[in-house]
Order: sequence, then C-alpha cells, then structure tokens
Amino acid sequence: MSLADLPLRSDRLRHFRRLRDLIGADVLTGIGAAILFLVVMAALLANWLAPYPSDAGSATHPEQSLLKPGASHWMGTDQVGRDVLSRVLYGARTSLFIVVCVLVIAAVVGVLLGVTAGYAGGIVRDVIMRVTDIFLAFPALLLSLALALVLQASLRTAIIAIAVTWWPWYARLTASIASSIRTRGYIEAARCLGVSPLKVMLRHVLPNSLTPVLVQLSLDAGGVILTAASLSYLGLGAQEPTSEWGLMVEQGQSLFTTDWWVVTFPGLAILLAAFGFNVLGEGLRSALDPRRGAQ
Amino acid sequence: MRRIIAISSAVIMAVAVAGCGGGKLRSQPKTSGTGNNKTFVYSYSLDVVTDWDPATSYSNEIIAMENIYESLTKYDPQTKKVSPRLATSWHAADAGKTWTFTLRTGVKFHSGRTLDAAAAKDAIDRTIKLKGGPAYIWDSVSSIQAPAADTLVFHLKYAAPLDLIASSDYAAYIYDTKAAGTTDLKTWLSKGHDAGSGPYTVGSWNKGQETEVRLTAFKDYWGGWKSNQFQAVEFRVTPQVTTAWQLLQRQQVSFVFRLTPQLFAQAQQNKSLHTSYASSFENLLAFFNTASGPMADLRVRKAVQSAIDVKGLIAALKGSGVAASGVIPEGLIGYHDGLTLQQNLPTARSLLAAAGYGPGHKPLTLSLTYAQGDTDQQLFVTLLTSALSQLGVKLNAKPEQWNAQWDQGKSTDPSKHQDIFVMYWYPDYADPYSWFANLFHSANPPYFNMSYLADKSVDNSIDAMPALTATDHAQAEAAYGGLQTEIIQNQAAVAPLFVQNYQRAYLASINGYVANPAYPDVVFVHDLTTGS
Repeated sequence: MSLADLPLRSDRLRHFRRLRDLIGADVLTGIGAAILFLVVMAALLANWLAPYPSDAGSATHPEQSLLKPGASHWMGTDQVGRDVLSRVLYGARTSLFIVVCVLVIAAVVGVLLGVTAGYAGGIVRDVIMRVTDIFLAFPALLLSLALALVLQASLRTAIIAIAVTWWPWYARLTASIASSIRTRGYIEAARCLGVSPLKVMLRHVLPNSLTPVLVQLSLDAGGVILTAASLSYLGLGAQEPTSEWGLMVEQGQSLFTTDWWVVTFPGLAILLAAFGFNVLGEGLRSALDPRRGAQ
Repeated sequence: MRRIIAISSAVIMAVAVAGCGGGKLRSQPKTSGTGNNKTFVYSYSLDVVTDWDPATSYSNEIIAMENIYESLTKYDPQTKKVSPRLATSWHAADAGKTWTFTLRTGVKFHSGRTLDAAAAKDAIDRTIKLKGGPAYIWDSVSSIQAPAADTLVFHLKYAAPLDLIASSDYAAYIYDTKAAGTTDLKTWLSKGHDAGSGPYTVGSWNKGQETEVRLTAFKDYWGGWKSNQFQAVEFRVTPQVTTAWQLLQRQQVSFVFRLTPQLFAQAQQNKSLHTSYASSFENLLAFFNTASGPMADLRVRKAVQSAIDVKGLIAALKGSGVAASGVIPEGLIGYHDGLTLQQNLPTARSLLAAAGYGPGHKPLTLSLTYAQGDTDQQLFVTLLTSALSQLGVKLNAKPEQWNAQWDQGKSTDPSKHQDIFVMYWYPDYADPYSWFANLFHSANPPYFNMSYLADKSVDNSIDAMPALTATDHAQAEAAYGGLQTEIIQNQAAVAPLFVQNYQRAYLASINGYVANPAYPDVVFVHDLTTGS
C-alpha cells in the first residue's frame, strides 16, 4: 500500500457511510434507491418474474391482441397479443444494459483522455480539449440521431451513438480535476522519485479524479435511459422484437386514447427509472461533496 | 434547488417521451364552418404530390387530382356501372371496337379555353404518347377522331370496355394541352399549375409543408356552385393517426381517411362525427426482391412467404381488413378462393436451411421498407419480425415517407433496393389488369414493379389479358388464376396480405360523402355540402 492510497481509502469509506446515512435520512434519495433496487431486481430476475418470458422475445399471439389488464395479464397485452408486463420487465434489462454500456464506454474514453489532457497540459491538452469542444458543440440528441441514421438502426447503434455524445463531458470534467491534481505535492514527490509519467497518471492522478466521475455517472444514467428511449421511439435504436421501453411507447402511441395500457406502462417505467437515477445521483452528489463534509 | 430541477427534468422528459406520440397540434381555426369560407381539410398520412402531370400522375396526388381534373366517365359504386362525367352519353359499335362519346357542352378549362372533342383528343393523345404512369389503359386504342365539337370517336385494335377504361382513376383525365402557352407543359405543371376542368384549381402547393396543397373553387365550373358547398380544399399531411384523430375532434380537419379500429369505434360514439365503413379493392402486398440480394434465391422468398401469419394479422386488425386470397380482391374478375397464405414455420426453416441460412448456417438479415404512420403495416411488420426472429433471420424494417420509400425502390442501382417492399395497391379501373401490368410486368427502370420480376412468359400472359377479358370472360378468369399461381406460388414474388376495409370519419356537419372503391381515398369535395 502506498502512502497515497491511505487518504483515498479513508475518504471512500467516509463517503459511503455518508451515502448510507443520506439514504436513510433523506426520503427522496431513499425513494430513488428503492426504485432503482426494483428496476435492477426486475432486470436480474426477469426470467422468473415475467409471467410469459417468451413474449419478451419473438412470440406473438395475435388472437389475444389488446386484452385489458386483468388476472391473466396484469398490464394487458399489446397489438400482437404479447404480455406487456413481461416486456416491461425485460425492458428493464435492456435499459440497464444500455446504461452500463454507454457509461462504461463514455467514462473510459472520457476519463483517459481527460486525465491525459489534464496531466500533460500544453499542446496535448489543447488538442484534446478542442476535439472535446467540437463534440460538445452539437446537441447530444441531435448528434445521436445523426449517427444512428448513418449507422444501421439497432441497439448497438444506439449505444455507440449515445456514448459518442457522452464522453466529452467526462473528458472535460476529468481534465479540470487532473490539471489541479498535477501540481499537488504527492505528484511532485512521485515525479522526483523517478516514477514514469504513465505510472503517475494511472496510479495517482486517475484514482484521485474518480469521485466526481462516479457522481456524474449516477447523474447521467437517467439521461442515458431517456436518450436511448428517444432513439428507439424514433426507430433508430432497439428494433423488434427486442423488449425496450421507448420502442414499446412508439408502437403503442396510436392506441394511447383507446388501449392506454400498451403505452402507459412502458412510459411509466421510463419515468420511474429516470427519476430513480436522478434523485439517487443528487443524493450521491450531496454525500460525496467535500464541502458538505466540512460543514 | 438542483435536485428539484433534475427531478422535474426527468419527469418532463419521461412524460414527453411517453406522450409525444400524437405529435404537435397547432392551433388552427375550425374547418368547414361558415367562419372559414367553407374549407374542407383532408388529413392524409403521406406526402400528397409526387407528380402534377395528369398524363403521368400515378400516386398519392389522386386525392387532389380527382378534384382538379375530370375523366369522360365515372364509376358508380352503387350501380357498379359507369356514369356520365365529361361525356353525357356513349355507345359502342363494331362488336366493341368503335366507341363514340358525346361530350358535355359549356365546359371550360381553368385556363378559360372551351373543352371540346379536339381538346379531349389532344389530351388523350398526349397521355398515350408520354407512356407514363398507367397510360397502358389506352393500349387498345388505335386512333381517336373528333368529327364534331361534342363528338369523340375511338377506334380500337381489339374489343375493350372503353366506357369503363375512361373512368380510370389515373391517365383518363381530360386536360388543356395548351394551358402552358409556349412553355413546356410538363415543366409548367411541375411548378404546381393545373390544366383541368374540375371544380377546384390549385391555389398553392408547399412541398414538404404540413398543409401541402390548397385548392380553391373554380367559379366557372360546369356543375355550378351552391352556397353550402366547400369553396376550398386543403390537404394536411398528418403522419400519425392519433394526431389526425385529435385534429378531427377539435374540428381542425374535416376528414380522416383511415382510422385504427379502436379510434373508429370511438368515432362511432362521437355525435359530432360521421363514420364510413366500406369494403375496397385496395390490398396490402409485400413484394420480394427477385433480382438481387438474398431474396433472389427462390427458397428464401418461399421461406419468408411461409413465415407470414396472415390469419394472425387479420385477427389483430380487428375488422380493418380481410385476408387476401391472391392478388385480386373479391368482386373483380379473376378472384379465386384458396390462395390465402398459410404460416408454416417448419417449412420456412427447412427452406432457409436448404438455402444455407438459419441456425448453424450463415446469418441472414433482410431489409424491409413500409409506410411511416400506417399502423396496419406496422402490425404486419411486427408479426413478420417476430416470426423471422424465430427462424434466426433479422429483419431491418424501416418506416419511410412514401417518396423516400418509392425512390429507394425504383433506384436504378440494384444494390440500393430493399429485400421486401410493402405497399397498398388499388386498380386503375374496376378490373384486375392494373395489378399485373404495373406490379409484375418487367420494367426497366423499375417503376412499381417492386419485386423486380422479369419473366417473359409472365409478361406475355399479362399482355394478353385485356383482349382476353373483352372477348372471353371464362378464359380470362382462368388465365388470371394461372398468373396468380405462377407469381405467388411458383415465383414467390409477392405475399398478398389483406384487403382493406375503409374506416373513416368526418365532421357530422358534412353531408353527401360516399366511399368509392374505384377512386380509393378520394373525396369528391364538390359533391359535399356542409350544414353549418
């Protein structure tokens, strides 16, 4: 264990204790955590929870189309007779898969570029930041739409399109943190001891830049769910027969005034998941805010 | 504070995603009332105009063109015979090879020129010469004479029902070939001018705009005007049926040409609306690319055909369609029972395996294009995607506006062609020849032949049909049966899906609407009156 690790670990423990206390003390954060717990459970246990698992895939039962919510189908059936509850549960899996993929890609690319820019400074920083600025100049949804149009519409395309618009925020965030860390004493000390720049970046600068990134990730998750749902709604994301909430909303939109359940339940799922991520992200931000700890 | 903003954003965005299906509704004045100069607003889901030339027009613009131009005769859905339009009477001689039409007098074109037999002859001659769109309807004509101002004589190469042909929804328009003066007529027309004699003339055309076309009353129309008739017609492009439905409820449109069964049921309960339910000659067809891509392999086409669940589709349509038995709808010569496709997934699987696709073989991805906003087509696509997914085939289905879908389909570059093209078809006149001449006769470059079928034997059979229909009804019935067997079963070039039942709604203040299957989607607005 290096000396630099000591404050970091104690900081993390303090942060997580603070988060645990916050979830217990703050009703809204608690609700957000509970919702997310349910969404994660739905995604993990969809195989067991879904009453008609095959309906989440390629099965159709046209003769049972548009059945109202009832004992056999708690959330009714869609136009081709598929159980809406089963598709909503599997939709949670699709949404979380998108969130994880997008945020991992965006965070890895963004953090690596940001740390490099912040630590190296000079022309390296200028080049990376200008590229970042170019990406930031486009509205995220517009850029996602353009990319999704160029590539073949699919779940993978949606993930790539969203990730491409998301990484610059992480690059910018990490670059500003890394540029402040690079002047600190322990970095100078490591340099003087002859540690290579790459090692300094990976062992010292990167770990100390991650806390704000974690907060940003939790805040961004809700946005990713909404963007992915929007792309699927526009026919540029997930495709049939994938169970995806945005796609389900799109397919049921013409039935909203007559067969409300087809569009309402996936719409509510989007709302709840985005809401859960947002309030939990806010809670996490409060818990990990150093200014709060000093109070 | 930030938390509140974040929560609000999440709620607003999620609700927006969940509820934006209806599209935006702009506040516009109510239609058809006395306060709006009696404008009839037609809500249509697709682009309206693809071609303004009455000689070559062959697409959605029919809904406007039939109010701008007139033909010699008109099909009457109640008597199932043709009735007078620009011609007041007609008779055949020489065993159906000479037809004489007496024209209505006192008819003026919008240009101010008098419509006489010479003008009518010029219009039909030009249409035949341009050979665009469905000009084939005049194939039986060898010459046209105008011996008197009100007399038009057709000499035919073979006997044909020219009174019925003259009622065609396309290519039978009589127009002023001199309307453009010294300018090229086609160029002049393409700018949104018209040369018709009908009750309305083009007021404005805004391609790509929501209100794409506005027609205004032609004051010198031979049919005259009453105070309770519509003085203008607007065609408003509303891709989403839910948006159209909301606009109708707010009386911001007068007529919605197609509703879902669920919305139609609601309309029937709404006292401020009238509804119209009618069978049609319009069917939905899925064309398989026989010329390029993976579907050039007959086994793949037959596999996809076997994957289609027509029975399930009809169940899910809930009354808005009946199963197609072959290409020809019931009520027309050549209709045959027993040609409805039956789903058979094991057969489909073995056909795909034989072609080298499916589990354990090469992956197969097919592309499909269909009309954006058409819920019935979307239903078919959802069922087909699911069925093909069970066979390990991925279907990339793309909803498109008609112009984009058609442009891709008729591209001269085969690599741009889709594997499956979904569209509706209806006959040019009450006869099945239109399906075969347009959809399955070889055409280079492709026009409506979206299966890209090029088979000389099929071409010869199709070419023989008009004369055969006119001379030997029984043999024509059999020949159409043989053609359908060849195209659907042997060549698997197409999958006939269902025949539409029109479910429409319009404002209760409107009187006089009659659905006419020979002119699908057309509202003859001059026939309507408004009571308020």
